Formats: sequence, structure tokens, C-alpha cells
Amino acid sequence: MILKTSGLSYDFGSGKAIHFPDLQIRAGDKVVLVGASGSGKSTFLNLISGVLPIQSGSIELKGHPYDQLSGRQLDSLRADHIGIIFQSLNLIPYLSGFGNAQLGLQFSKKRQSRVDDVDQAITALAQKLGLTPELLHQQPSAMSIGQQQRIAVIRAMLGCPDLILADEPTSALDPTATEQFMTQLNTSIDPDSQAVIVVSHNPEIIPLFDRVIRIGEDQ
Amino acid sequence: MIRIAAMSMRSRRIPIALVIIALTTSMALLLAVERIKQSSQKGFNESLGGVDLVVGPRGSGLELILYTVFHLGNPTNNITTETLTDIAANSAIEWVVPIALGDSHRGFRVISTTNEYFDRIKFAGDQPLSFAEGAAFGEINQVVLGSDVAKDLGYRVGSSIFVTHGSESLGKLHDDFAFQITGILNPTGTPTDKAVFVSLEGYELIHLGWASGSQTLSLKNLDIKTIPKERLYPKTVTAAYVGLASKLSLFKVSRSINDYDEEAISAVIPGVELAKLWSIVGTVDSVFKLMNWLIIGISLISMVTMTMTGLDSRTREMTILRALGATPSKLAGMIMMETALISVVSISLAIGLVRLLTWGTADIVSQWAGIRIELSWIAADELLTLWIIVAAGLIASLIPASMVYKRSLHQGFSS
Repeated sequence: MILKTSGLSYDFGSGKAIHFPDLQIRAGDKVVLVGASGSGKSTFLNLISGVLPIQSGSIELKGHPYDQLSGRQLDSLRADHIGIIFQSLNLIPYLSGFGNAQLGLQFSKKRQSRVDDVDQAITALAQKLGLTPELLHQQPSAMSIGQQQRIAVIRAMLGCPDLILADEPTSALDPTATEQFMTQLNTSIDPDSQAVIVVSHNPEIIPLFDRVIRIGEDQ
Repeated sequence: MIRIAAMSMRSRRIPIALVIIALTTSMALLLAVERIKQSSQKGFNESLGGVDLVVGPRGSGLELILYTVFHLGNPTNNITTETLTDIAANSAIEWVVPIALGDSHRGFRVISTTNEYFDRIKFAGDQPLSFAEGAAFGEINQVVLGSDVAKDLGYRVGSSIFVTHGSESLGKLHDDFAFQITGILNPTGTPTDKAVFVSLEGYELIHLGWASGSQTLSLKNLDIKTIPKERLYPKTVTAAYVGLASKLSLFKVSRSINDYDEEAISAVIPGVELAKLWSIVGTVDSVFKLMNWLIIGISLISMVTMTMTGLDSRTREMTILRALGATPSKLAGMIMMETALISVVSISLAIGLVRLLTWGTADIVSQWAGIRIELSWIAADELLTLWIIVAAGLIASLIPASMVYKRSLHQGFSS
């Protein structure tokens, strides 16, 4: 079991809490969270990544319950086990594509230990995602949004973290690029050790996933 | 993390360069002022090595030291050589070197003294005076030049010069008697370099026939050999340098000279008078220092302000790093590391700048102000000052660092 959530809810202060479905994620799972805007999809993802503090319910990642971890331990757990892809503005502007991709290993010795040759690993992932080696040496400002998102995928995948979280990664892409991106993301993960959870409000990508979790509907 | 910090700083190179320029110039200013102060103090203190007392007419001791040693100001009274003979009879006194001031040569002061001056007077601790060319004067018409005089006026041994009456360059020239240069001293970094030395007898000779600043008799009309020797021995001199057999008797001898009742004279200890001078100058020095520290403070504030205003534009960078597992303390450390790097780079540049400036301007400052600035990289006390600045910078950087530390990951995401 990679991830287990139970009885999660979150209240932003309005007094009306958002309740989330219980999740059990195993290796090889490809899950998409769908729902209307403001339904709490990103909030759910932020709770799973440890970005938001748990108000009620519980989360366990690789057997580590979040409520028993210090902030530092949670940061370390996230670095070791989770790869995150944001909706936009994914890359640090002053680092090259390669430098941004390398950041995936920066804060986790566990992930570093899984990579023998960083250059080779990044180049291999780039090839899988359809990026040329030359592009890796360019600054983000010289890349298209789609290319930037693919660099973010390399960063998230490098060192084989157990769980890949992607928050609406295709919102800035056209339908063709969206399908291509999602297919590449899903085929990049190792079905024996990794799982992916993607937040999207785009119903067209649902067929690409093997589980659909609807947020904002009566739990 | 160091690589990321370095890359991040590279992306903000223009504002960072401006802060480094501000810090570098303010620190260089602090170092330069301090170095000039120390060099001038050292130069003053080392100007009169080997002299235990300066004996002159009663009055301000500091004034006596300033005009006899540093050629600043003019003597008002003289003391008699008879009194000096009495003083020299004291067994505690090892030697007495009289000096008479008043004339000049093309802006350089003329000191009339005895040959013993070149043996007794030391500089930079206990280094004796030495000749670059020639030797001390042996005849009445011979003159010895300080190194700067020879260099500035292009004189060599064997050249002849005339002395001007009085210290003003527009004074009447003693053109009836030429002095021949017999020796040129090596540089000392003291007022000696800017002095022209003649014998007491030669000085007395050129003033024969002078009364109330006017010449009534020309030496051209005299056969100098016919003048009796005792007629050329001065009755009065400006002051005398005194060396003691033992430093232990310094205060005792000083007191006995001050109590001398045949003539109103006083003996001053150069070090004591210079200490008084530094205490007067110290107030101005403190104001300078305060201003310098204010400039450094403002530069540090600008560095912190730049870091704080930059935090908003760095939200994306911080959020990505946090999401990837960077702890708040690591990010706060990164901010402090940047500050430390800016401070260290500024310090290195300031040291280099001061070194370059001292190398480039040492000769000019020496000629213009008579201050010989030492060519050194950094002194221990200067290093301490600079580390205080680094520490202040690091303490100041705690403000933006704590802002980064407190900023939660969610704040980053939501912004």
C-alpha cells in the first residue's frame, strides 16, 4: 500500500467543510480526481502531499501516519516518496531544464540512491517524454508550456518516488497535447512500484486512467 | 543548495551588484580612513626616534613638538646656547643636539644643527639615518638634503643652493652665500625627508649683518676666513633634542629642566605631547568613524531591503523547493548564505580596492601630506572590523530568513 486516506475533511474557515472520499492507492494505480471548479480537488491533493495540515481524518504514506510526523519529517517523507507536478509555473526560471530536473533528487538521499547516473536517467526520461537532449540545456523561458510540464514530470519521476501527484498539469495545453502528455506520464511510471494521482476538470482524459474519484459529490 | 543559491543570485545580479558596490565602497572608505589615521599616527610617532626630550622656550609643549619635529607652525622664541651647555652638564643627559629654525629653501624648511644630528636621530623605532649619496657636512658651506627635497628639486651631490630668509618662499634670498650639497639622506617617511640641513655655523654666517629681517651687510664683501670661529657659534637656538643615559631618569631630568631658573625653558616628552595631539584629533576621528559606520549600516539595510523585496518575486522558487522537500530552515539558511556571500565578496573587494588605492596613491599622499601609507593587505584589527560587519549582515539577514521560515508551503501554493 502506498497511500491510505480515511475520513478526511477540510474547512477553509467558512464553517462548511469539504469531505473527501477514502482512498487506498497501490503500486500501478492511475487515479484521476475530477470535479467542478472549487469542489476541493486541489485541496485533496494538497492534503495528500502534506502541504495542508490535516484538520480531521488521517493520511498514511508508506505506513507513515502524517499526524505523528513533525514538519521536518513530513518534508523528508514528501522528498523521499512524492513527486509533484504543479498546474503551471513549474520550473525555477534561472535553472536550465537539466538543473530543474535534477532538483528532484536534491532533498532525498533515498531517491539519490536509486539513480546511478543522473545525466543518463534524465536523458532517458526526456526521451520517453519526447524531449530532445538539447532542450534540457535551455532555460524555461525558451521552452513552451508543454515542454516545461514535461521537465516537471522528469523532476517528479527522477529517483522513482512512490507517488506522483499532478495538479491539473494539462490546463494550459491544447487537447492533442493533453492526451499526448497524459499518455506519456502514465507510461513513464513503473507499475510495480509507483502510482499516479492526477487532478483534472477535463473529462476527456478520464479514459486514460483506471480509477476515477469524483470530488464534491455526496460522499 | 549552494549551487542553487549561486544560480539564484546570478539571476538577480544587477541589484546584488549594486548592493555589493555600496558595501564595498563603504567598507573601503572605513579601511582607508583607518589606514590613513594609523599611518599618520605611526609616522608622527616614529619621526623622532632616539629623542627622549625636546627642550625649548617655555610655552605650549605640543606647539614646540609641532614646529621642531613636524615643521608645522613657526617658533616664537629661542633659548640660549649657554643654557644648553648648563643642561648638558647633567650627568643623566647623554647628548644634546641643538637646532635652529627659521629659513627655508624653495618651500622646504632649513634646519641648522650639528653633525651629531645624523648619528643621534632615529626613525621607525631605532633605525639610524643613512646617506643615499655623499656624507654629512664638514665645512661651513656644506648642506645635507632630505630625500624628498633632492627628489622633488632634482638635486645631486655637488650642486649649489641658496637659502631663503624666513619660512615663506617669497622671503629674501641669502644670495651672498651658496651652500654646496654634500650629502643626500635615504628616505625615512618622516619630516626629515623634507628638510635641508646646514651647520649651526653656516646658519649663523648667513645671518651676519641681518637685523630685524633686513640685510645690512653682504657676505660678498667679507673674507669669511677672517671671521673668528667664536663669532659664528650661535648665542641662541630654537630648541634642542636631548638623549638620556637611562630612560628611568626621564621624569627627573624633565622636572629639573622645567625648574631651571636662569631662563624660561621647558622640556617636553614627545610621546606625551603626541598623545595629547591624538586626543584632540580623536574627536574628529570619532565623527569620521561614526559616519563610516552609518554608511555601512545603510548599506546593510539596503541589502536586507533588497532581500526582503525580492522574496515576493521568489515565491515560485521557494514554493518549488519546499514542495520538493526543502525544509524551512534550509531555505532560511539559503537566504543567510546569500547575505554571507555578499558580505564576504564585498569585504574581499574592499580589501583589494584599498590595496590598489594605497599602491596607486602612496607616493602622491606621501608628497602631498607627508603620510607614508603602508602597503599591506589587511591588519588583524581591520579583519576584526570586517568580521563585525559580516556578523551584522548575518544578524540583519535573520529578518528575511525568518520570513521565509515562517511562510508555510500552503501560502506559497496559494500565492
